[in-house]
Parts: sequence; C-alpha cells; structure tokens
Amino acid sequence: MDKQEIIEKLRSIVKPYSNNQNAFDNLTESTDFISDLQINSANLVDVILDIEEEFDIVIDNQSMERMLDVQSAIEIIELKLSEK
Amino acid sequence: MIGNDIVDLALAQKDSNWRRHGFLDKIFTEKEQLLILKSEYPETMVWNLWSRKEASYKIYNRQTQKRGYFPLQLECFTVDIINDFYYGNVIINEQIYFTKTEITSQYINTIAVLKVSDFDSIQFLKSNTAIQKDNGLPFYRDPKNAVLKPVSISHHGRFEQIVCI
Ligand SMILES: CC(C)(COP(=O)(O)OP(=O)(O)OC[C@H]1O[C@@H](n2cnc3c(N)ncnc32)[C@H](O)[C@@H]1OP(=O)(O)O)[C@@H](O)C(=O)NCCC(=O)NCCS
Repeated sequence: MDKQEIIEKLRSIVKPYSNNQNAFDNLTESTDFISDLQINSANLVDVILDIEEEFDIVIDNQSMERMLDVQSAIEIIELKLSEK
Repeated sequence: MIGNDIVDLALAQKDSNWRRHGFLDKIFTEKEQLLILKSEYPETMVWNLWSRKEASYKIYNRQTQKRGYFPLQLECFTVDIINDFYYGNVIINEQIYFTKTEITSQYINTIAVLKVSDFDSIQFLKSNTAIQKDNGLPFYRDPKNAVLKPVSISHHGRFEQIVCI
C-alpha cells in the first residue's frame, strides 16, 4: 500500500471525528489530530481502533503514545503493515 | 500548577461508544475496568476516570513538556467519596496528582493539583478572562500583582471551566 492510499484511508477515518472543516479539507502529513482537526481527545481512541480495523493491524501502547498527527500515523501503519 | 477537565455527559453519550470492542482496553487499566464494570452506572464511571486522567495529563504535560497519548500510564486511585465528590490520586511514573471530581447528572468535572491544600485556593476565572498562551500552555496575568499564573482550561459541549491557583 503506498503512502497516498494510506492518507486517503486516514482521511475517511478521521472525517466523522473532525471538528475543523477547513483543516480537514487541507489535510496533509503535518496535520495534527488534536490541534488542527480538533478531534476530542476521547475520540482519539476511536481513530486508533478504526485504524486497527481498516488496516488489520494492532497498535501497541508505545505506538499509540505518538499517534497524534497524520505523519506519525502513517509511519506506524507502514511499520505494522511491514511486520505482517 | 493545576489541570482540569469537564465532560458534558450528553455530548459524551452521543460522541463515544465506550462499549465498543477495544475501547476500554486502550485507555483503562485492568483495575479501572473492573471498577467500571462493577459500577452501578458504568458510563458515569468511564467519564469519571477519564476526566481524572485528562486533568492530570494537563499538569504532567506542563511539567514535562511531553505530549502524547498514554492514558494507561495515568492510573487512577479513589481515596474517598464525599457526597457527589470523588477524591483520588492519579499516578504516572513516580509522580502523584491529587484529584477532586464532581459528579452531576449533566457533567463530570475534575480538578487536579500537586498538593491537597491547593484545593482550598482554587480560583474560577470568567470565560472572558484574557488568557495568554506560551508554547500552547495557557496563563493569566493577575491584575493585582502582575504575576503570570498557570491556568487550565476545559470546554466540552455546554460547559467551560477556567481555573488557576
Ligand atoms: C490537553 C488535551 C488533552 C486537551 O484536550 P481535550 O480534553 O479534548 O479538550 P479540553 O477542552 O479539556 O482542553 C483544551 C484546553 O486545554 C488547554 N491546555 C492544553 N494543554 C494544557 C496544559 N498542559 N495545562 C493546562 N491547560 C492546557 C488548552 O488551552 C485548551 O483550551 P483552549 O482551546 O481554549 O486554548 C489535548 O489538547 C492534547 O494535547 N492531547 C494530546 C494527547 C492526549 O489526549 N492525552 C490525554 C490522555 S493521555
């Protein structure tokens, strides 16, 4: 799966939890889930669970710790996919 | 230093499905999950514990400059329940925070501090108070003595709270 595909999937995952339409429309690798998309911190766990389901991977606690922006999410997804 | 968190229970019910598979495992320790599942009102206990973690995270974040999603590392302990107030601790690494959590039918609100006596000197600031940010962290300049005080802000749904010591 290439990076663009991952970003597209991430875009549909974060959509229902995003509270800033402008930041969502302009989503890039540097977009922060909380400060840019204004995802509520309790919904971050839903983003993580949705990522696990969509990519069929398990995100361990250490990876979850830095899952705060698109870039780290991509890195973690790529790593977990490569370990499959 | 101070941290706070407020949960609008109606909004939380709408936005989060805590019964979703995996949800509890990602954010609550085994002991905390037992507390939730044994509770008469499990949903209230979910947000009770969550708000304690969030309020404590705000102090931890200010102390360490560490930003991250590590709810399992912030472990909640309940010390006393007096009327609708839960008094407890949140522990992360060697650090201990003292929490006071108010439970109502509309919202749950936790204030976290570094020492118990700080609970007696909490100031509630009005929502139009001029807050300045430094590195994303909110501060308030006390007009009486021009001292810059750390404040903690929380908003969720119908509720907002700004506190300082
Ligand atoms: C700090 C954080 C958890 C708050 O998110 P939230 O609960 O969704 O939202 P709240 O309304 O309760 O808090 C937001 C306010 O907290 C304030 N705040 C942020 N960091 C703070 C800190 N260290 N101390 C005090 N206040 C802080 C902000 O100023 C913000 O208010 P503003 O938007 O009016 O400026 C979130 O912004 C964040 O950075 N999360 C990163 C990871 C995380 O969620 N960790 C928590 C569990 S481990």
